[in-house]
Amino acid sequence: MINLVRNEMLKLLRKKRLYVIVLIIAFLVPLFTYAQFKTIQEQREKLGAQDWRTALQQEITDTQNRLSSSRLQDEWRKYLKIRLSQQQYYLENDIDPRAPGAPTFMRVFVENSIDLLLPLLVMVIVADLVSSEASGGTIKLLLTRPVKRWRILLSKYLAMLLSVSFIVLSVAVLSYLISGVVFGYGGWNMPLLTGFAVSGDELLTENVHIVPQWQYILMEFGLVWYVCVIVGTLTFMLSVLLRSTAAVMGIMLAALIAGAILVNMVSSWESAKYFFMVNLNLTNYVSGMATPIEGMSLGFSMAVLAVWGIAGFIIAFVTFSKRDIY
Amino acid sequence: MKKYTLTLVSFVSIAASLLWLFGLGWTFQDQFSANKKFDQPKVKTDSVTSKQDDALSIFALGDSLTRGTGDADGNGYTGYLSDLLKKKSEQEITLVNTAVKGETSSGLLKQMKQSEIQRQAKQADVIVMTIGGNDLFQQGAALESLNMDTINSQKQLYLTNVKKIYEQLRAQNEEAVIYHVGLYNPFSNLPDAKTTSSIVRDWNFQTAEMAANFENIIYVPTFDLFQLQVENYLYTDQFHPNTEGYKLIAERVASLITFEQEGNES
Repeated sequence: MINLVRNEMLKLLRKKRLYVIVLIIAFLVPLFTYAQFKTIQEQREKLGAQDWRTALQQEITDTQNRLSSSRLQDEWRKYLKIRLSQQQYYLENDIDPRAPGAPTFMRVFVENSIDLLLPLLVMVIVADLVSSEASGGTIKLLLTRPVKRWRILLSKYLAMLLSVSFIVLSVAVLSYLISGVVFGYGGWNMPLLTGFAVSGDELLTENVHIVPQWQYILMEFGLVWYVCVIVGTLTFMLSVLLRSTAAVMGIMLAALIAGAILVNMVSSWESAKYFFMVNLNLTNYVSGMATPIEGMSLGFSMAVLAVWGIAGFIIAFVTFSKRDIY
Repeated sequence: MKKYTLTLVSFVSIAASLLWLFGLGWTFQDQFSANKKFDQPKVKTDSVTSKQDDALSIFALGDSLTRGTGDADGNGYTGYLSDLLKKKSEQEITLVNTAVKGETSSGLLKQMKQSEIQRQAKQADVIVMTIGGNDLFQQGAALESLNMDTINSQKQLYLTNVKKIYEQLRAQNEEAVIYHVGLYNPFSNLPDAKTTSSIVRDWNFQTAEMAANFENIIYVPTFDLFQLQVENYLYTDQFHPNTEGYKLIAERVASLITFEQEGNES
């Protein structure tokens, strides 16, 4: 089995996809770093060299002013209200949620890329894992070996898991190293609040507790990894079902982007919460943002994702073992 | 070389998988075990009162007038005020504006309870505020019906609130001069101008009386500024000042502040 996985990893490396992914990340991170740097700089210019409390207070009043505007969508109003009470809570506990530093950048970056960027990167790797063998014809050579079919597929699946871990790791390492050049490498022990719960447009704080930033980041990366594995599994299933890599990519791409759009407009369509792509934003539960649909929680979203993942896994294995190869 | 890379990548990936699994497990442990008590972080607030002594810090609070509603640039009189002061005193000015559109005196009183607002009040050298416009006008509704009973009861509520606001500001900051910018009559070119003006004048008078009970609280009249040609100084909503109107207010407040500063120094 180990040899089979090794073989698959070798194929993956040969295709140079992993390097491309790493290059993409290495190219994107400086962009975001620069954008973030500009924002901070502009804020400083606007407010003078003031401490973060003043800036945060200013932001809170700005939000209050927006809330008092009558031309505001209900959705957006709810979101603003929750963020407002959260910021207020941070302020009252004397914690700066955005103290600049490489770990903070890492955290913000991964929170923003969990629902689209990272799944896309994973998709690029996984999409042709099986389908390329089918379209290239090499699948026949592979299946004539005296190895059970499910073991071959399992080795591919394990290779997929490993490469997902690798991608997430490279995001972590690259975003830390590159942004640290600008923001400095410190800030791992900064306290952050987690455990906010949202009910309606109220922010419940009875479960709120403090965790150091390094633990917070580790938790978030755990969730990111989970999301990537699920997306990977679904792509993997499509890759088994379809012979054309382009089709696999197209379908996944459509699903992911549809998810990103749906999140912004499904709040009244309640059963949409069973779609996997609406549930990708797991880190939002840790940081305490408004959920896209009433009644979603971390446990719920993870369960929905797990169901989709397991179903995809089973379909992939059953189809692959039963299918006629010609 | 190839082989070496393969082993390396594989091992790194396996290690990473374990790390992320651990993180995931920790998330479960942290997010789903409910009975954690939140221990208040050590209070270190007061050590960080990063007040720059060379800079004059203005703290603005109140309603839409302080926020700057109607000004094309969004500065409001506070923005022009700090510009003017910068020019006159050649001093660094920091401006903190916590005004909220539509704030009534009750709302402001509630806002004053927030610790950050209190901290800002404590640090300020100069405090400017506008309040009462929403109590009296209720977005234009009250003066149109001209029901004296409602207006009087509003006024009583407003005056008690203003008293509390003054007291709280003074409790936070004994030294800063407080400039309470008064009301003008946005309806002075309408048919009922006589009545509305007298109501606004009375309102202003009562507030000024209240301010006089406190030390260094200055009630800055704006009624006269807008008395003539009110339409030239009003924004299209016929209620808030426009850029010109805000500049008028800013000039008036600015002249008072520089006077005070020089008075202190000599």
